[in-house]
Amino acid sequence: MRDAYIVTAVRTPGCRRGKGAFKDTRPEDLLSFILDAAVQRTPGLDKGQVDDVMIGCSFPEAEQGLNVGRIAVQIAGFPDQVSGATVNRFCSSGLEAIAQSAMRIMCGWSDITIGGGLESMTYVPMGGNLARPHPEYTREHPDLYISMGMTAENVANRYNISREDQDQFAYESQMKASKAKAEKLYTEIVPTPATRFVLQADGTYKKETFLQDFDDGIRESTTLEGLAKLRPVFALNGTVTAGNSSQTTDGAAVSVIMSEKAVKELGLKPVAKLKFYTTVGCRADEMGVGPRYAIPKLLKLAGLTIDDIGLWEINEAFASQALYCIRELGLDKYMDRINIHGGAIALGHPLGCTGAKLCATLLTNMRAKGVKYGVESMCIGGGMGAAALFELCD
Amino acid sequence: MHRKIRTAAVLGSGVMGGGIAAILASAGVKTLLLDIVPFDLTEDQKKDPKARNRIVQAGFDTVVKSRPALLMQPKDANLIRVGNFEDDFDKLADVDWIVEVVVENLKIKRDVFARIDKVRTPGTIVSSNTSGIPLKAMSEGLSEDFRKHFLGTHFFNPVRYMHLLEIIPGPDTLPEILRFMADFGEKRLGKGIVWAKDTPNFVGNRIGVQGMVKAMQLMVEEGLTIPEADALFGPVMGRPKTAMFKTADLVGLDTLGHVAKNTYELVTDDEERDSFVLPEFVEQMIEKKLLGKKSKAGFYKTDLTPEWKKVRKVIDPATLEYIEYGKADFPCLAAAKAAKTLPEKMQAIVYGDDKGARFAWKATASQLIYSANRIPEISDTIVEIDNAMKWGYNFEMGPFETWDAIGVEKAVAKMKADGMKVPEKVEAMLAAGNQTFYKTEGGRRYFYDFASGTYKPVPVSETQIDLPALKGAGKTIKTCNSASLIDLGDDVLCLEFHTKMNAINGEIVDFMGETIDYVEANAAGLVIGNQAGGMPGAFSAGGDLAFMAGLAKAGKFDEIDAFLKKGQDGMQKTRYASFPVVAAPYGLTLGGGCEVCIGAADRIVAHAELYMGLVEIGVGLLPGGGGCLNLWKKMTANIPENVTDVDLAKFFVPCFMNIAMAKVSTSAAEARTNGYLGPNDRIVFNRDLLIGEAKREVLRMVEDGYAPPVRRPIRVLGEAAQGMIQAELFNMQGAGYVSEYDVFLAKRIAYVISGGDARTNAMIDEQTILNLERQAFCDFWKQEKTQARVEHMLKTGKPLRN
Repeated sequence: MRDAYIVTAVRTPGCRRGKGAFKDTRPEDLLSFILDAAVQRTPGLDKGQVDDVMIGCSFPEAEQGLNVGRIAVQIAGFPDQVSGATVNRFCSSGLEAIAQSAMRIMCGWSDITIGGGLESMTYVPMGGNLARPHPEYTREHPDLYISMGMTAENVANRYNISREDQDQFAYESQMKASKAKAEKLYTEIVPTPATRFVLQADGTYKKETFLQDFDDGIRESTTLEGLAKLRPVFALNGTVTAGNSSQTTDGAAVSVIMSEKAVKELGLKPVAKLKFYTTVGCRADEMGVGPRYAIPKLLKLAGLTIDDIGLWEINEAFASQALYCIRELGLDKYMDRINIHGGAIALGHPLGCTGAKLCATLLTNMRAKGVKYGVESMCIGGGMGAAALFELCD
Repeated sequence: MHRKIRTAAVLGSGVMGGGIAAILASAGVKTLLLDIVPFDLTEDQKKDPKARNRIVQAGFDTVVKSRPALLMQPKDANLIRVGNFEDDFDKLADVDWIVEVVVENLKIKRDVFARIDKVRTPGTIVSSNTSGIPLKAMSEGLSEDFRKHFLGTHFFNPVRYMHLLEIIPGPDTLPEILRFMADFGEKRLGKGIVWAKDTPNFVGNRIGVQGMVKAMQLMVEEGLTIPEADALFGPVMGRPKTAMFKTADLVGLDTLGHVAKNTYELVTDDEERDSFVLPEFVEQMIEKKLLGKKSKAGFYKTDLTPEWKKVRKVIDPATLEYIEYGKADFPCLAAAKAAKTLPEKMQAIVYGDDKGARFAWKATASQLIYSANRIPEISDTIVEIDNAMKWGYNFEMGPFETWDAIGVEKAVAKMKADGMKVPEKVEAMLAAGNQTFYKTEGGRRYFYDFASGTYKPVPVSETQIDLPALKGAGKTIKTCNSASLIDLGDDVLCLEFHTKMNAINGEIVDFMGETIDYVEANAAGLVIGNQAGGMPGAFSAGGDLAFMAGLAKAGKFDEIDAFLKKGQDGMQKTRYASFPVVAAPYGLTLGGGCEVCIGAADRIVAHAELYMGLVEIGVGLLPGGGGCLNLWKKMTANIPENVTDVDLAKFFVPCFMNIAMAKVSTSAAEARTNGYLGPNDRIVFNRDLLIGEAKREVLRMVEDGYAPPVRRPIRVLGEAAQGMIQAELFNMQGAGYVSEYDVFLAKRIAYVISGGDARTNAMIDEQTILNLERQAFCDFWKQEKTQARVEHMLKTGKPLRN
């Protein structure tokens, strides 16, 4: 099997659903921009050399439907022969797309591919526009369609993750992100054109464009006291609040993946190799435990232990589930290796984009810190976990 | 020129100003709300428009946040613009009506009016909401055009809920301006107009405060406790539950004291001037800032024990300490509670022979005599005083109606025996053989006019219809214990319910069927409406639960099914009858009452204060009289047929939520938002005009060539609804928001509204949903938990969550 090299990994900023900088920016625009930017940032790469593009999206419908993976490629100016697809595994969709694109390299079917993810939660709400759970199956098993907030409550209740611990975790995420933002450490972000509709004196709207270069969900002013005051949003007497849950966000991210042959031909210096990717199922009503099963499965495949991993990106869908997984895996001794620039509680969780977004962040940090092995993992709605191992190139 | 009020300005954003702005906005009038620029601004803040509008913004925010709501619906706030007296005063040139509601200080008011006089466009109406300052003093020296268009418009607090609007002519007000404002107040703002004269505190507060302070004095003299006085002057005397002292707590003791003092100073010739002197203990309370609700302690106070239990306490006038209290107990109270009608209750109280009765008699007699002596000083007729007390103080009967209720002759004899000075005009009335202040003849109500010594018709708007008067005049066509059919004239009939809370029982269902046959044969159209009293009153609070609970207990589920079938058939028969049917709901319109409106009627003409909803789930049931079918129809009826692949789920979810969460609207506007009222349904602000407006609507529909609706299959969401709702209910149950039994009920409700196991977007016959409703209804009755919910409701009046 050949190696799959990630040459470029970039992302747009993550911006708040409905209120943030991308609230008037079509998802296809976010994606086509970041696709173009990835090519621009890969010296010598011509768009026509890309064999295929795969884009993860959790709710691939309406504005991000109609196979947005192909549409955005066209909008971004790739020639006709460059194909595109949309893949969906909910919250690991972006990572799934990168893994599938990498596999094409590994098995020798392609030399240059792009994998990535997209979600505009503003344009297509979580759950989609037209959710239709099965009428008969839901009589016995409505849990298959359980709301994500309830799964977070279930994890907190079943495994005793306290409100205080969740709030503390959320606070730290915000503080790490605030610091990274202030120190301009998110070098994987490409300043992205955003749209806004500006009301004119005559009552019409004018479409204007501006450049957005930061994640606008970070709350530098967060305090533990403030977090403690928030009401539970998903259950009566619950512990999961808006403050200790991930933010709903708009964003896109992609990675350019190449074979050793292509890297050499173009004279590039790749960032990392995608070594392994795995997924695993779990109970739907506690989907947040996914990483607790996916990570050991991944490490077993790779023949590594947690001590070998220098950096972790574990998606913070909810503080309760992230904390549970960290504790169960014995990772709490390595807190300084986990989500070092904050996680989804501060930066947002643009569902289908997240897998690709965390990849870009992880690779940036691995290179900056000279870390050999990095792991990315997340829980997945419906009851799954995914994890991937990256190895830094010399 | 046809005068219109398109825009208005309210000057002063306090409780009254905010309330007036809110009712104007709710009535669709664009309103400019102004207040002063704060005095304490820094140099920087003086340039900041936000800082300059700080006071008015706070007033506006209070309007938006007030509960019970002052606005009919939140979005009405968009019609209110705010500004300040310095930067925005010139905008007064562009409004049609300027209402002054600034602080009760003559000099300040005069300054404001002088400024208005300079900027207003000639012809613009200007009014003051003063509660006591003479209009003459306020407008002296201003331009002639100003004075001709200047009047008093005195609203009561809270403006949305208090029916009274006193109109006070200034010395030079043009008659057409007065007529116009009375008409605007009555029709657009829905107020009851009382014509007052430019005398201290006008009508309502003059009579109301005299009565209240006098009663306080008598209470001290006679040695009664506050709860005893309140028990005597509560519902047994036709007064609101808050009676005397709880009302004072709501109003605020400082406000009460202010009005009392103001009156005392101005009414130097008043024979009862001393009635305006507050008892010493009340003065002390005001000094100690025990002002009532606003200071969380007044005559009453609620303490919390360390165990979070509420303990109600009352002040002891002797010590000003708060003490616990029990139920007041007098023989006269027991007799009043046993009596059936309000006049009988009143008689039991005032003619009783105990300490409580003696106090109640003295206080009542004082107010009756005082009221009679105020004519023609404060108003020309007794009607104005009675209306002011009913509409401004929520009395069920005004002083003269009360006098009639306890017997004028008997009361006068007792007054004389007690050495009270009976007004000569009352003696003259009796001497001339006139035994009552009011009488009804030929469907019209007449009052005794002191000035001419004759009976004159009570003036009412030409739209107003008085059902009791029509019945008195023999206009009843058919009747039974629970309902009547009344001739409204012009071939329009009215189906009136008159059960307790106008609950719908078997008799009403039968009567409705007969009514439809009768109207088919004999009339042009039908109004379904009634005029039961009360605040907010009940058009119909629902189906007769006790009746059905009896059947369920006896296991007679077939009879429940048959009752329901008859009800459904009656609704359908009415809906598809060959004549127009207009429902005229107001106040509580719940369950079966709501079903009558959305199911049986072609159109709804609703009072603005409409508390409408399908609340059956609260007692473990679902709308079984066509409510599920007809709410779904109502919410989807206006989708054009060529919108073919519309996502019915978007309509289904709010329709289901209305029923599954037992949502009740807080106004007719909100009922429209919730889907209970459609685009053809009208909202009327004045409840007194409701039946009249409904009759007009029927006549218009007849005039327009009424064609009955055609019954066709309807489109349903089908089985897709079940998956959606089952998945969501699982979340809600897990979250602890709903009980297992709620889920059981709600799943079945979703099944019914969506048309059962139908393919999504299938067309099905209306009868299919009606059958599903009935089956579910009977199945629910068989459940222990439903029976427990019903029993609890019948016993306590409150829903049980099980």
